[in-house]
Amino acid sequence: MTRKGRLQPAALAAILAVQGVAAVFFVGDALADLRAGPAAPHSVFEALVVVALVLGMGVGAWQLRVALDRLRVQDRALATARGTLAQVIESQFTRWGLTPAERDVGFLALKGLDVSEIAGVRGVADGTVRAQLTRIYAKAGVSGRAQFAAWFVEDLLDEGLPAPASHTAPLSAQEGASALAPGHRSD
Amino acid sequence: MARPVASGRRGGAVAPPDPWDPLIRITHWGIALAVVSNGLLNKPGGTVHVWIGWAVMALLAMRLIWGVIGPAEARFSAFPPDPRAAMSHLVDLVRGRPREHMSHNPAGALMVYALWASLAVVTVTGLIMTDGQSPVTIAEQKAAVAAGDWSMLAKSAGKEDDEGGLSEAAGELHEGAANLMLILAMIHVAGVVVESRALRRNLVRPMVTGRGKGR
Repeated sequence: MTRKGRLQPAALAAILAVQGVAAVFFVGDALADLRAGPAAPHSVFEALVVVALVLGMGVGAWQLRVALDRLRVQDRALATARGTLAQVIESQFTRWGLTPAERDVGFLALKGLDVSEIAGVRGVADGTVRAQLTRIYAKAGVSGRAQFAAWFVEDLLDEGLPAPASHTAPLSAQEGASALAPGHRSD
Repeated sequence: MARPVASGRRGGAVAPPDPWDPLIRITHWGIALAVVSNGLLNKPGGTVHVWIGWAVMALLAMRLIWGVIGPAEARFSAFPPDPRAAMSHLVDLVRGRPREHMSHNPAGALMVYALWASLAVVTVTGLIMTDGQSPVTIAEQKAAVAAGDWSMLAKSAGKEDDEGGLSEAAGELHEGAANLMLILAMIHVAGVVVESRALRRNLVRPMVTGRGKGR
């Protein structure tokens, strides 16, 4: 989506550049004609074309500006959402007591890399990664990769919904335990 | 491997845009290409040389207009010429701790203005040298001369006598400013390399495609 969004301003800018170069050549030629024969119908026509070209470029520049501004707003919103999610994940990893290596593996797993890909990125054997993943799942108390990923997505999906009680059962159980000790909220 | 985490954290930090906006990128590489080809490759004073000169005039004009109406970091107000800030940035750079800036860093900004100024001088003197004739006219003249019509040549020769001094001075200036620009361009490239190393970040990529995988 962002990729497609970036293509549009790039195309606009490219067209603008071509227009600009063409306009300069045309203006140069029109000026030469004007010097040769001022006020000839030909010159009047060329002057009109120059005005049209410049106007078109003005509109193009304005559109480019608008497109870039819109893109920026979207990017910021996305970065904020991403940053917040990353924070949530990091604090949860801390709460689970993951080691630095496990954190990295956990992040890569959440990003959708499979065992051999993670092993490749980290430069370790597949078996090592598999063992680390198993430890991560154990610490998080989940059955496997799908549940591990769902752990973070679940919060996002529940947000703003009139949450049915059964869905939040594991979470509220956790919270119920920590609610006994005030000031020690589990987020 | 810790990169995904780091990039997530850097989200709100002050840094130049990644990627730069497309108009900046197109004019940047268009001008770079033109400088290399007109300064080093093609025949000075040839038709191609003049064509490229006119195209570069358009690119420079567009970038300058964009400096007024473009997005925040493209505007002149985002990188005012400030020699003192440039010096302190260079000092920081030597110490290996350059600060991030929202647009061009102060030293880079000075370089930008120096390059634009020398480019403008080269373009204007080039126009004076060719008597302001558009490449279209020049090409037509050359075609006419090649076809055996020497009258065009006589006309332009007569003109040159009147403005011989001016044209010659323009020629000297054209060459001097062009050489200066080539030197500045080399310093510019060196500066980008040094700054990229100091910031541990590829500064060229935002000027080409940006973050690559659309992230």
